[in-house]
Amino acid sequence: MADEKQTEVSAAVDPERLVRLYREMVLVREFEEASQRSFRQGKIGGYLHVYTGQEAVAAGFLSQKKEEDKVITAYRDHAHALMLGADPKEAMAELFGKRTGMVKGKGGSMHLFDVDRGLMGGYGIVGGHVPLGVGIAYALRYRGSDGICQLYLGDGAVQTGAFHEAANLAGLWGRDGMCPVVFIVENNQYAMGTSVERSTANPDFAGKFEAYGIESEKVDGMSLEAVLEAGGRVFEEVRESGKAYAIEAITYRIAPHGAADFFEKYRTKEEVREWRQKDPIGLLEQRLLDLDAVDEEKLQEIKDEAKRTIEEAVRFADESEEPPPEELYTDVYAGEDEYLGKE
Amino acid sequence: MAIRETQRRHEALGLDEDDLLRMYRHMLLARRVDERMWILNRQGKAAFVISCQGQEAAQVGAAYNLRPGYDYVYPYYRDAGIVITLGMTARDQLLSLLARAEDPNSGGRQMPGHFSSRELNIVTASAPIGVQYPQAVGSAMAFKMRGEDGVVLACGGEASTSEGDWHEAMNFAGIHDLPVIFLIQNNVYAISVPENLQVAGRIVDRAAGYGFPGVEVDGNDVLAVYKVAKEAFERARRGEGPTLIEAKTYRMTAHSSDDDDRRYREREEVEEWRKKDPILRFKQYLHGAGVLDDAKEREIEEEIRAEVDEATEYAENAPYADPESAMRYVYAEEE
Ligand SMILES: Cc1ncc(C[n+]2csc(CCOP(=O)(O)OP(=O)(O)O)c2C)c(N)n1
Ligand SMILES: Cc1ncc(C[n+]2csc(CCOP(=O)(O)OP(=O)(O)O)c2C)c(N)n1
Ligand SMILES: [Mg+2]
Ligand SMILES: [Mg+2]
Repeated sequence: MADEKQTEVSAAVDPERLVRLYREMVLVREFEEASQRSFRQGKIGGYLHVYTGQEAVAAGFLSQKKEEDKVITAYRDHAHALMLGADPKEAMAELFGKRTGMVKGKGGSMHLFDVDRGLMGGYGIVGGHVPLGVGIAYALRYRGSDGICQLYLGDGAVQTGAFHEAANLAGLWGRDGMCPVVFIVENNQYAMGTSVERSTANPDFAGKFEAYGIESEKVDGMSLEAVLEAGGRVFEEVRESGKAYAIEAITYRIAPHGAADFFEKYRTKEEVREWRQKDPIGLLEQRLLDLDAVDEEKLQEIKDEAKRTIEEAVRFADESEEPPPEELYTDVYAGEDEYLGKE
Repeated sequence: MAIRETQRRHEALGLDEDDLLRMYRHMLLARRVDERMWILNRQGKAAFVISCQGQEAAQVGAAYNLRPGYDYVYPYYRDAGIVITLGMTARDQLLSLLARAEDPNSGGRQMPGHFSSRELNIVTASAPIGVQYPQAVGSAMAFKMRGEDGVVLACGGEASTSEGDWHEAMNFAGIHDLPVIFLIQNNVYAISVPENLQVAGRIVDRAAGYGFPGVEVDGNDVLAVYKVAKEAFERARRGEGPTLIEAKTYRMTAHSSDDDDRRYREREEVEEWRKKDPILRFKQYLHGAGVLDDAKEREIEEEIRAEVDEATEYAENAPYADPESAMRYVYAEEE
């Protein structure tokens, strides 16, 4: 038995890689917990959506992003920024609306951007970024790059008109090899208080893409290894073909929808408890122990380190300056600004 | 032998000879009014024409299932066949074309093809493509909430399915099992854009993603359309929810009187489709079934010609709306 397991693992998985990604997932979890605390302390304004429960999805896919690839997502974007390499200090400062933030404190939690690392945002309008992602994929091919676009969207976003218009175009352009986009539907079972059973008469999200001529598959979004496998295979196929593809990652939003959500009203304690058993971080810990890749002590060390990093990030954010009022007029348009900034 | 086969076709659908002749008249009237509108346009009397030509079977076949004034219809600009089946007349069409005060759709305010009739439950069209769909599911929701067995027929071209509104409406209809039928008249073009550059995958397949059936039908065969629409209407009335019908047809004219279709499609293609003209096909069926002979065919043509002539003359002599009334009908008025 034990032997069998070993061989199965060595073929597909590099334990060191899993440990590295575990580190990232734990860091994101810490970041989210700290940001929720800071929100309650009134240090973060606007709104806040945390990624708790979904970490394996972003970790598995983003770790396979190539230099030339692009990433775009909605407002649940902290994990994406951090996993692409943003400094937790700058990310936290952005949530705090500080000058030292990733986008100078002007975007906040929902609008993290990191163009140098290929993160094309952070968007607050549900579904609104989907056409942008498809356009980015087209632009990549049009300009002769062999990059692809990882386009993250929620189950709720799939019900919006913007999604439909974009999926149709992705199907059409993909036929000509001009749309290397991977739709990553993070099906976390809810759109705010609306469960997938109530938001569509057919909750087979992967299946919906068939009618756009887009191939698709489902992946267990709680299993880092499953996500890694799917990403590794699909991204290279799409890079090669230039055809759109869709992956439905089945996952769960363990946290509330946002900073002001009373989820007892629309989901039962039992349901949440059941999904907690599949917490991707918990599952991965068990896996790493089974593989002898780590021991309990090592796991604790990783968590402590993440905690320290995030504490430092919060301190940095807290102590940073607010952007000065004049900054309201800068960065509104790209390049030199003819109209604004003269006041 | 052949006659018996064809007879069985309409009889199996519960249609008698009177039904068939009524359907034929509706189709022919829609066609002849349309042809007259083009003439008036070329004479400089009508500013704009948008045609139903080629789509009469899809329209009349579906609309023949409607209960006028009870069910609701959200037609699109080509649906002359639908509004005529419901009871609109040649005169109504021409008054609208020439923007006269008596135009029942809008008192001469809307473009031609923007049908509207409170009595017939024809809901006023808006010019942006696709906006009728969310409105139509709203009406269907109202039927459901009131516990009435009304059905809503919502129509559009194949390109209207590329609009987000269509998706949101389809999804909502599916979730709430609403009594609505989406009739997509796939006439192969959206102005100059052909279907293969417009639709990824197949329209009819999209229904599955919303959890209800999609049916494809030969849109130039009026009885075939009647049959699938009948099933869809029955389903809706039984409370079993929506149906998507994709009627495969062809736009026989240019997109509108402002379009020159020679710039984007071959004459041979148009000629091929002219051979499949739905009126020609139905006429052949009626002859085969012994419902129509040459004399009867001529008689109907004559009647319709007289009706269109009378309507043209009436409309040309009808007054325009009083400029003083320009601000009326923007908001509802007390009755
Ligand atoms: C167009 C629009 N409608 C409504 C909202 C409010 N809203 C914010 S998040 C959300 C739920 C979206 O759910 P989903 O796409 O599944 O993403 P998740 O929050 O589960 O990650 C809604 C309705 C919005 N931001 N934009
Ligand atoms: C939102 C919107 N975009 C564009 C137009 C311009 N337009 C008018 S008709 C038409 C073509 C629609 O094609 P289709 O839905 O296939 O109907 P068809 O005219 O072929 O019957 C377009 C693009 C419009 N009226 N509304
Ligand atoms: Mg969701
Ligand atoms: Mg069309």
